[in-house]
Amino acid sequence: MNDPVSGVAMALVIVGLALSTFVTRTSFLLAGSRLRLNHRIETALRYAPVCTLMAIIVPDVLMHGQGSVDFSPLNPRLIGGVAAALWLCWSRNIFGCLASGMAAYSLARVLL
Amino acid sequence: MNRPEADRRRIFRAGQRAILPSLPGAAAWGLVSGVAMVKGGLTVPWAIMMSLLVYAGSAQLAALPLIATGMPLWVIVATGLATNLRFVIYSAALRPYFSEQSPRKRAALGFFMTDFTFMLFMRYAQENTLPAHHRDAWFAGVCSSNWMTWQVCAITGIVAASYIPTDWGLEFTGTLALVALVGPSLSARPAIVGGVVAAVVAVLAHPMPYRLGLFAAAIAGIVAATFVDKWQPPAPQPEAGDAT
Repeated sequence: MNDPVSGVAMALVIVGLALSTFVTRTSFLLAGSRLRLNHRIETALRYAPVCTLMAIIVPDVLMHGQGSVDFSPLNPRLIGGVAAALWLCWSRNIFGCLASGMAAYSLARVLL
Repeated sequence: MNRPEADRRRIFRAGQRAILPSLPGAAAWGLVSGVAMVKGGLTVPWAIMMSLLVYAGSAQLAALPLIATGMPLWVIVATGLATNLRFVIYSAALRPYFSEQSPRKRAALGFFMTDFTFMLFMRYAQENTLPAHHRDAWFAGVCSSNWMTWQVCAITGIVAASYIPTDWGLEFTGTLALVALVGPSLSARPAIVGGVVAAVVAVLAHPMPYRLGLFAAAIAGIVAATFVDKWQPPAPQPEAGDAT
């Protein structure tokens, strides 16, 4: 395969991208006490995980690879997601949740 | 070996065990990212280098088409920054837990923090199931397992790209691992409202490039959850009921 860019350019791209990850991930962690958020904002951040998770999961399940929302009961990702959620209600076992979700999703893709 | 050292090792391994059941998600997402790197036009050595140094699946995937079309460096880095903007929120949320650590350790924990390891840490923190001491060792355990799994699978995907089927939807395992994490958090009203608001905003803002929609959705959800939290009368809170 042909490299579309020269070695030096590619190395710079990788260093630049690595910096973009490092700077964002360590931003507040490294700033420590110098860059402290307001206490109320810091308390509000306890909702960051649940909000970000829902913002990642829902579009991925409902509009995968397309611009529109697919609420149809034949959407394999919706079927897989619901199966995984039902498993979670029944048991806290994460591995079973992944397995049942993938099984339902794959079956739906093959059969529907 | 002295006592604290043994404690740290034990807690490190407890972190590794905590993430174990979710590792299939990291494995599938790593494999799919690795395959995509090569299919997107990178040569094997560059793809491996990028996987090891950047270690951010969505930023790497966002950068691929820009690299292939020879876009200027600053455009690629700006795209990486936009895609990674959500990590600033994660970093701010983690700060209080690690503020007493050395800058070097905070930099290392930050570098190895991902969507998944952050969510897992916060879940344990909110359920008060984190170890009382050596939380940095626990988080390092979580992150080391996640890193190792992701890298091994990404490099497998890079090297064996042409043999790995991309139409099986393997990457959906990663989404399901997130479902398993979010489920137990959706128990209190502020979290439910925040989650629903974030989901709606994420769907509406989906056309925004570089995961900026995700960033906007997270902010909107956090604001909504905080409002509901402030609004709730203090009396019927479960903590108050349990204490009596």
